[in-house]
Amino acid sequence: MKTPLFGAFQPPHEDERILGSMPRISLKEMQHFRESEPVDYCIVGVGSAGGVLCQRLAKAGFKVVGLEAGPFWDTERDWVSDEKGSHKLYWTDLRITGGEDPLALGENNSGKGVGGGSVHWAAFAPRFHPSDFRVYTDDGVGSDWPISYEDVKPYYELLEREMPVAGPAHFPWGDPHGYPYGPHPVGEVGNVLIKGCTKLGIPVVAGGPIAILSGSRGDRPHCIYRGYCIQGCKVGAKASTLITHVPEALRYGVEIRDRSMAFRISTGRKTRVNGVLYYDDEGREHFQRAKAVIVSGYAIETPRLLLNSACPGHEAGLANASDSVGRYLMAQAGNVLLGRFSELIRMYKTPPAHSMTEHFYETDPDRGFARGFAIQTVAPLPIAFAKQMMKAKGAWGWGMRRVLMDYNHWATLGVLGEILPWPENRVQLAEEKDQFGIPVASVTFTLHDNDKKLIEFGKKTVMEVMRAAGAEEVVQESRYAHLVGAARMGSDPATSVVDRFGRTHDVSNLFICDGSTLPTQGSANPGLTIQALAARTADYLISQGEKIFSSEERDMTPPPVRRKLAVAGTFVHGIPRLWN
Amino acid sequence: MTDTGSITENWLRDSRTRRPLAPVQQPGYYPGYDVMGQKAFWDAATRRVIEERLYKIPQIRFFDESELPTITAVSNRIVPQDDRTPERRIPIVPFIDDRLYRNQIDGYRFADMPSDQEAYRLGIRAIDETARAIHCMPFGDLDPLKQDFILKSIHEEKRLAAHAVWQKMSIARFWYLLVGDCVGVYYAHPWAWNEIGFGGPAYPRAYTRLEGGLPEPWEVDEQRYAWEAPSNSISDLYDTHKGTGNISEQEVTD
Repeated sequence: MKTPLFGAFQPPHEDERILGSMPRISLKEMQHFRESEPVDYCIVGVGSAGGVLCQRLAKAGFKVVGLEAGPFWDTERDWVSDEKGSHKLYWTDLRITGGEDPLALGENNSGKGVGGGSVHWAAFAPRFHPSDFRVYTDDGVGSDWPISYEDVKPYYELLEREMPVAGPAHFPWGDPHGYPYGPHPVGEVGNVLIKGCTKLGIPVVAGGPIAILSGSRGDRPHCIYRGYCIQGCKVGAKASTLITHVPEALRYGVEIRDRSMAFRISTGRKTRVNGVLYYDDEGREHFQRAKAVIVSGYAIETPRLLLNSACPGHEAGLANASDSVGRYLMAQAGNVLLGRFSELIRMYKTPPAHSMTEHFYETDPDRGFARGFAIQTVAPLPIAFAKQMMKAKGAWGWGMRRVLMDYNHWATLGVLGEILPWPENRVQLAEEKDQFGIPVASVTFTLHDNDKKLIEFGKKTVMEVMRAAGAEEVVQESRYAHLVGAARMGSDPATSVVDRFGRTHDVSNLFICDGSTLPTQGSANPGLTIQALAARTADYLISQGEKIFSSEERDMTPPPVRRKLAVAGTFVHGIPRLWN
Repeated sequence: MTDTGSITENWLRDSRTRRPLAPVQQPGYYPGYDVMGQKAFWDAATRRVIEERLYKIPQIRFFDESELPTITAVSNRIVPQDDRTPERRIPIVPFIDDRLYRNQIDGYRFADMPSDQEAYRLGIRAIDETARAIHCMPFGDLDPLKQDFILKSIHEEKRLAAHAVWQKMSIARFWYLLVGDCVGVYYAHPWAWNEIGFGGPAYPRAYTRLEGGLPEPWEVDEQRYAWEAPSNSISDLYDTHKGTGNISEQEVTD
């Protein structure tokens, strides 16, 4: 047996976790809090936002318990370089999906386990554009945010270094900026995008921005271009909060209880919550007392938990006086254009996410619809590709066998299009119950006129790019990517669920911090923005201190940016400094 | 397997000479490529999962004896393997059965669909009822061409019979469920990876030749050959019913 670069793989001790190919952490010293004694914060969901919140709040000295429905992964033992074998990374419990354009859920957009969706994201990490924060003002559609790009910018800069993000030295769209880690080598799908865009005069960037290491850092090795990003990065090169923020959270005394499914937030006096009820893996009921609760369950589980927490005084669901909980759910148009080339592509190599253009991101009145889209590389592995061909070409039987024999000749590009927030696109409770007896989420999704026009234009554009790159045949599959909204932030308590810092309008010690608070979504992948907003909410909570736990006062002063709370190693040699 | 009747009728043909092509151990354009030959360079967890898939075929526990002949015949048409020698055909039904038995779902159910388990029971019933209504025979006993025509009618959302069943679920969603599961099993198998030239697991060793579709030193070059589907099949014709996906150049340039 040859010895691989990272050494032999010994199974870890029961109290240990291997996180990526090199780091190991011990769970033996993990803090254990008593359920009967209130902790400062109980965070529901240790994913993209929850992981950052745990790390920041613990580092600032708070007592924090994180409840995670899925397992605390050991990446070496639990994850595999295999499509079919990665089923467990996704939220596969039952949900009902309907409406005129029902969304595929599960592996398409929902993670389960410590790290949440950041475990299986493709890791494109672009920022939102300044225009995203004022869509209603500029375009008369959607909604404005109660904050501006400038409020989030420092956190973008911080998280781009904490993850960190690799990409071009100059990213020309939105608020132009560069990336701290160099761009990745380009694979053949990236070349297709570059070739096609260049021929049509469309600016394009290569090798990022993606939250994947192009050079090693600390105990995290660089990318090995194996292509299984969305099956979980065993290498530890792709950022997930499991490897970027959770280890430090544990060092500062967070307790993470995995396989713990929250089912109700408990209310004490009318305007306050006092803890979270949850089931452990064996179905036993627990109650963790807390002085404040942060829900970070993402755009389906967050509204589901709030709706399942209805109680006297909150009959329509907790923090739902506005009837906004569950509403304004958004997915991005994720139409995939598949092009066949006479030359070989072999798209399974390199991260699926590695090149993109945001040239069509902003509203162009000539196009006849508001907002826009990005074009990004995607690269399905064989099973996903076969399922796309089932729809895109109507392939089955010998036709399926034939087109899959040509797998190495196909390249795929994705539209990432902004779908606007609509009140009737929503999460509600279904009749059905899950394995714990908790009512499951029912998701309703229907495209509107602007969405449809945008998708048609996006498809047509990517088709042209594919043709310009030399594709001899192009087919497409309609699909969606990401999930945000359903507990949106806003200044008006009558039309939104949380304020600009994530505090629910109705309950002063209940916060929501995850993708569900986004009022609009732009055509940028939401992962970076979710983590940036989590760091911002953490700074606010830290500034407010003990006041959160007892006072009804809502201090809306923006917090100072606490750069020192960034994970250790963020500002080591070789990383460009921020703000001197 | 549907090896009955004239053997060569089930065989592929060389597109130029029209001569039948005898079944082979490894169809596809990458002769000699063996993804399992790399398993020493994979991590232990991945190796375990893929070897189990190769050597541990699940027992049938979900489908009953009346359903098994139909679903087996269906899977043989959805993913035909007549070009493979019998010992190198990839088992499909046992893995679908296992998923349904263990209720391993994708994490959602369409509002106009019953559970996956119920959908399979209904769908198998509908397919068999259709065969009996048109040909007065069980689906499993029909010749491949007749089987293909019935499956194609479902693909095109034509309800030729079994109307009561199709009122209980979306025929289009059932098709995607069925085909999706079949290809999900086939293309999870290392023999299928050999066929299509997929590199497979590469951790911790890595891929190094990223551009130009170039093979790694352990991969092989493509060697194409022209083939036609067997004469008793119609599944080699592409037909995007209702245009779920395909866009022609025409539509786009308009």
